[in-house]
Amino acid sequence: MKEIMIKCEGVHKEFRLRGNIIRALINVNVEIEAGEFIMIQGPTGCGKTTLLNVMSGLDLPDEGSVILDGEDIARANEDRLSNIRRQKIGFVFQDFNLVEHLTAIENVEALLWPTVLRTKEIEDRAIAALRAVDVLERKDHYPSDLSGGERQRVGMARAIIHQPRVLFADEPTGNLDPTSGKNVLELLKKLNKDLGTTMVVVTHDSSLVQYGDRVIKMDRGRIVR
Amino acid sequence: MRSKKRFTVFTFMYTAIIIWMSFSLQMLFSTVGTDPKPWIIEVNRNVAIISLVLSAVISISLSVFYAWIITNYRRTEIATLKCIGYTNNNVRVIIVGELIWVTMFSFLIVFELLIHVVAFSAYFYYTADRLSDFSPFIRFGPLLITIALFLVAQIGGILIAYRRVLRLRPIIALRIQK
Repeated sequence: MKEIMIKCEGVHKEFRLRGNIIRALINVNVEIEAGEFIMIQGPTGCGKTTLLNVMSGLDLPDEGSVILDGEDIARANEDRLSNIRRQKIGFVFQDFNLVEHLTAIENVEALLWPTVLRTKEIEDRAIAALRAVDVLERKDHYPSDLSGGERQRVGMARAIIHQPRVLFADEPTGNLDPTSGKNVLELLKKLNKDLGTTMVVVTHDSSLVQYGDRVIKMDRGRIVR
Repeated sequence: MRSKKRFTVFTFMYTAIIIWMSFSLQMLFSTVGTDPKPWIIEVNRNVAIISLVLSAVISISLSVFYAWIITNYRRTEIATLKCIGYTNNNVRVIIVGELIWVTMFSFLIVFELLIHVVAFSAYFYYTADRLSDFSPFIRFGPLLITIALFLVAQIGGILIAYRRVLRLRPIIALRIQK
């Protein structure tokens, strides 16, 4: 029997927007096994990003439980959540979210700066991460000197430098041209196979779901398949 | 590079205020003593006190404004750092570090400037026998007191930064559209 990496049970989430209550997640139950590549797909506003936020501890559910690697993150305090994110979770963002005044390698290293690791070890790990995503030759460039695809690769290197158990990606191809987007997803697939990292990728693009081992389809806050 | 421009602009503003505050302090100290016309001492002292208070108020306002700018313009960066596992304390160290760094850097500029003024004056205007009479336009004592006051003035900015960093949720990193 495979290890369960993420388990959401009876998750509800509501937002208040201009006096209206938006039910973003309605009784969501999900189980994701370790090492799986999951695509969460659905139209805009269906609740897929909210589900990713709740699963990654960025947002708390109004009801229900979220177990990540055996720990209920819905009840963890902020410091514990920071530690969980640093140790177990990697994020890939749609807007890349690289720090503009740091070089590519510094952006990757930044995740480990507050740790007790030595500078040399952090640098070695950053080089290995940049090599894994095939952007090592651009390590001394600033984000503004990189193409969209390269920036996303640097973002991915930052997401894997600490060898996370789960990697969450919110529309990682949203700001890329189709070729770069395809390359990024192929790279995520490769990292999933090589490192065994559980991948949870949110996309509205139905043509990209082929990369996942399993697709969670959402509509109006519910899982429909 | 917006952050570099911000750093440069604030460093120069801090430098100007450090010179102003040091000069006010020096003026205040120089009014102690005897003068044939006491009303001149009184006027000088009042001007020095007003100038000192004004420079202190501006330095506090500037530090609060700088902290607000840093936390506002670096919202995405701070949220991203929180997303990747930085604690509130880790982020605070970065913000407070920038505030202190700008202060110390401005102090070094003033110090460097004074050395050049002294060297320039000594070379062109003073002969060896008059050199012992020479003093720079700002003495070291007022400058040291100024830097201490300036670091205390940063507390306002640090408190603002603490509050804003604490309130900033990591989820912002996913929401902001550039």
